[in-house]
Amino acid sequence: MKKNKIIIVILIIGIVGVFIAYKMYNKPHVNVADTKSVITLTADKIINDFSSDESKANIMYLDEIISVSGEVYEMNLEKGKGIITLNTKDDFGSVLCHLSDEGTKKMSVLKKGQTISIKGICTGYLLDVILIKCEIIN
Amino acid sequence: MKTIYTIIICFLLANVTNAQERYLTKNGAVTFFSSAVVEDIKADNNQVLSIIDAGSGKMAIKILMKSFMFKKALMQEHFNENYVESDKFPKATFKGTIVDFESIKITNLETKVEVKGVITIHGINKKIVIPANIIRTEESILVKGEFNLFVADYNIKIPSVVAKNIAKKIKVTFDFNHKPYKK
Repeated sequence: MKKNKIIIVILIIGIVGVFIAYKMYNKPHVNVADTKSVITLTADKIINDFSSDESKANIMYLDEIISVSGEVYEMNLEKGKGIITLNTKDDFGSVLCHLSDEGTKKMSVLKKGQTISIKGICTGYLLDVILIKCEIIN
Repeated sequence: MKTIYTIIICFLLANVTNAQERYLTKNGAVTFFSSAVVEDIKADNNQVLSIIDAGSGKMAIKILMKSFMFKKALMQEHFNENYVESDKFPKATFKGTIVDFESIKITNLETKVEVKGVITIHGINKKIVIPANIIRTEESILVKGEFNLFVADYNIKIPSVVAKNIAKKIKVTFDFNHKPYKK
């Protein structure tokens, strides 16, 4: 009797373990739209931070969900995905926002020169600061 | 080192005397594919920066490691945290020259070329010759191709537990549509 109980307990632990492992393996990606942004700033500020001290900015911004506000400089459609360039005072760099599918749909109502807020995940700095999976807030 | 690269690139761009000479893309595509016993893993990056100097055929590429998107969040996490250590090495780079670039005529035909240079991944520099196809028109330089990389060459350690999940040889494909640089 006692032996049976132990086996059942072990079995339950095993099943729970497998279930947790499976859940972890299939853990979904961060949903940008439903997550509150950690940092809110302007396009000028973020490009400044990256161009003055990139390693420090990497620690601050990488992988974080960031809201950036700025003026629409350019809008492109690449392979069905929208890309918005936010204007900055920096000579070369701007903020490049790669939109989600949802964000791409909303892009058509935007106009050049309009000031908007965009929320996305920062992946780093090349010539521009890059945000991916972006959603247009307003 | 990163700042030096940034300064060099900014310097190069700042000194453009003939704007037509330089071609650039900010949304080049790089995909890698690992086919192993247990699973296939694929990751896409559509934010690759690539610059070609049409005068010399020199090519410079910068890739943000965190921009690689995986199907599963856990794979992406492992890739960034354990394998390529993106916090320590946020970028992969390539610097090289397209061999015999000047002989490529402006046509709509695909030309097979070799790009020779140095690739840097996970802080390790390696000389490499990458085969590519180029289509050169008045308005663009399209460069695409594929090649293989060996994980072990870049000091990337894969624990034996997941050895069956990750291939030793990774197939990399790239597709860059360079446009004349202007801002």
